[in-house]
Amino acid sequence: MLPLDSGALLFKDEKLPPDQREQLTVTAQGIVTAYNKMSFAGVGIARQDLAAGLPFLLALQKKASFPWLSANLLSRTDRKPWFKPHTLLTTGGMRIAVIGLTAQGADSLLTDKDNAVITPWEEVLPQELAQLRGRAGMTILLSSYPSAINKKIAETHPEIHLILQGGDSRGNMPPEWVNNTLITQVEPQGKSVGILEVHWNAESKKWEETGSENLLTDKKNELDRLGWQINRYRRQGDPTQAFKDQPQVLEAYNDMLAKRRLLEEEILRLTAEQNARDANRSRSSSYSFQFETMRKDLPDNPSVRAIVDATTSEVNRIGKAAVKARISESTGRKQEGTSEKYAGSTACTSCHAPQFAKWRTTQHATAYDTLEAKEQQFNVQCLPCHITGPAAQTGQEMLALAHDLRQVGCESCHGPAQAHTLQPAAAKVGQPTMATCQRCHTGDHDDRFNFSEALSRLRCGAD
Amino acid sequence: MNKPTTFLLLFLLTLLGITVSASEAAPKQQAGTQHDVTIFFANDVRGETEPCG
Repeated sequence: MLPLDSGALLFKDEKLPPDQREQLTVTAQGIVTAYNKMSFAGVGIARQDLAAGLPFLLALQKKASFPWLSANLLSRTDRKPWFKPHTLLTTGGMRIAVIGLTAQGADSLLTDKDNAVITPWEEVLPQELAQLRGRAGMTILLSSYPSAINKKIAETHPEIHLILQGGDSRGNMPPEWVNNTLITQVEPQGKSVGILEVHWNAESKKWEETGSENLLTDKKNELDRLGWQINRYRRQGDPTQAFKDQPQVLEAYNDMLAKRRLLEEEILRLTAEQNARDANRSRSSSYSFQFETMRKDLPDNPSVRAIVDATTSEVNRIGKAAVKARISESTGRKQEGTSEKYAGSTACTSCHAPQFAKWRTTQHATAYDTLEAKEQQFNVQCLPCHITGPAAQTGQEMLALAHDLRQVGCESCHGPAQAHTLQPAAAKVGQPTMATCQRCHTGDHDDRFNFSEALSRLRCGAD
Repeated sequence: MNKPTTFLLLFLLTLLGITVSASEAAPKQQAGTQHDVTIFFANDVRGETEPCG
């Protein structure tokens, strides 16, 4: 078993909001602890993994039982890698080399103090592969580069047998064969895990050509159909005699005979190739794959569950402490912020009682309660989509939100309504559009969201 | 919101469960140049542990 991760493990973005840093880094530490427990054998470094700074990742590396890998994240001064460029693992009775590559981007990610640079893959990969030559039966690359660059790498370096990539928006991507390299990835957020069962010949190191068996079957089926058509012409006797006065029919018949000869020759050739492959099969390498969805109905593993519970509990504790600090700071002063433009859902009841009653029956009305039940009401990663308020709020403002703005209330869809409560006719509120809903019902969070269906289910104003 | 997954938590279970069946099916000793390897892989976990609520 060889569990690997090609990167962007720790953070979603390349920069951390300062007021969320503590919660996000605690979560990152929890994930590393979980990966230790799951015996991961190597994790590639993507730009997002550097979001808390290079020193943070270097410190975290010491707590990891797996190597963080990057061959091209180098010291700016001596050009030595900051992390292991590769690791050599033994599994299935074979040595496997695993190399890491970090996708480049804006260098502003690294500060001068970091003394680090992400160099182009072309500058490091050839020498890395040269060092590994003859030391492993199989070579795997963990890459956070996009597909187009990984294909170029595969075309240039057939000695890389498998590229596990990240950072491509296509989600689960079945292995694509480029030169002698398979390229694949799974969907983000840990929603799936990829499983590749490999039968490998460490001497030939060549993947078996697939698809030719299907081609042979297709050609045989085509020959059968053609034979059936030819026999129809022969029902009235020898076609050259039966259709001697119908030259067009005779021409079509002769075309079919010519096509049949070509098909028979092609089938003979494909059969010979197939036989040669069968005889040589023991020298070939093959694979099968699946993407296992992490479904809710699968039971949790108790030891990982304990790690995640401890992590989320700590995240909540940090948020709660931040609320206390903010309340203490603002004692005696009016809190500033855009939330004062919001009136709260109960302010809507005097004029819109039926709509308010309808809202109370929806999941929006208990959105905050679900966080509270899981003790995640102080988690600023969760809060924005479980409360009423402007997207521009900082994490600190969200944590100290007024009680009346908890839950996804009327103003989440219709916008701030403080002015409307004072001058109902002059200050109208808006109607939700798809973009309004998609602030929270994104593909990341709700990949089955359907705007029309959701709107017809809510329809506060129609009843 | 409707999240169909429980993210990271189930990795271990899946890994262990499938590995047990794979190791039972695979020969203990692999001779010569032929090798059977099971590779599990993930990417872009992005700091997710489990759905918010």
